Amino acid sequence: MSESLIPAETLERVGEVLSGPVTVVVDRREAQRYAYAVGDENPIYFDEVAAQAAGYRTLVAPPTYVTHAVVQPRTASELRTDGLYREGTRIRLKVDRVMFGGEEWDFLEPVCVGDEITATVRLAAVDQKEGRKGPFVRQVRETTFVNQFGDEVARSRMIGIAR
Amino acid sequence: MSTTTDVTAAAPNLATLEAGQELPTMHKFPDEAQLFLYSAASHNPHRIHYDREYARFEGHEDIIVHGPLQGAWLTQFVTDWAGPAARLLGVTWQNRASGLTGEELVFSGTVTSVDAETGIVELEIAEHTSDGRLLMPATARVRLPLSSE
Repeated sequence: MSESLIPAETLERVGEVLSGPVTVVVDRREAQRYAYAVGDENPIYFDEVAAQAAGYRTLVAPPTYVTHAVVQPRTASELRTDGLYREGTRIRLKVDRVMFGGEEWDFLEPVCVGDEITATVRLAAVDQKEGRKGPFVRQVRETTFVNQFGDEVARSRMIGIAR
Repeated sequence: MSTTTDVTAAAPNLATLEAGQELPTMHKFPDEAQLFLYSAASHNPHRIHYDREYARFEGHEDIIVHGPLQGAWLTQFVTDWAGPAARLLGVTWQNRASGLTGEELVFSGTVTSVDAETGIVELEIAEHTSDGRLLMPATARVRLPLSSE
């Protein structure tokens, strides 16, 4: 077994809320701007009649849009050299590089235009694994999205690989 | 930034759908304008998606396609196939390699299981470059409408 890349203080933080709760109203123009940027012109995002014919309350947002809808406005002076914002909450690991490993989504209820969505991000897991290129840390940030009816509408697990 | 799909087929029918069946492939042709629009629409200021010199400084071949944009394409690939009455229940993707502008990206998939009672269909899907480099292996779960609906 290799030396632990995860300090004890980080292990103790599993389950901790990293950001949020943040509440936003899903805006029609923003959701449609997103769908156009993806190149996904599904009528259920643009045509209320088509959305209702498909069984939705009203216009629906593209599945993964909800995670972008809750991004808070920030001043450009908080940008780092790489263009990302300095994070309020840092997770300490004894590694050089963190890479985006992938994402897992559960879509539990539709997210419609006008819905009020509350997002909360938690540190769901930090595990050390042995890979072909040596030890690495798999870090999972889970975001839960809850609507104005109190229903959980989606859950996203972003997987970071650090080594 | 166009999309093409090989066949414009009718929505899949639960009664005739079987494990092993393939989905019609979808093709994407990302360019700089699309990456710019996606950065803006997703509120993503990460420099590797718009600053060529910086992307190369970080060790990338060129500016790279956003992971979440490729993820959104994987969801589009499934919802375009399943039709508007279906419900996407979940998707997972792994980030294996980066897509670049000017490349044709190909989305393909296979049905892995069909539950005729619940309508739940599981899929194994993937994004490759047109020369066969695997960018994102993925899975999806979708509920198709039951014939009585």
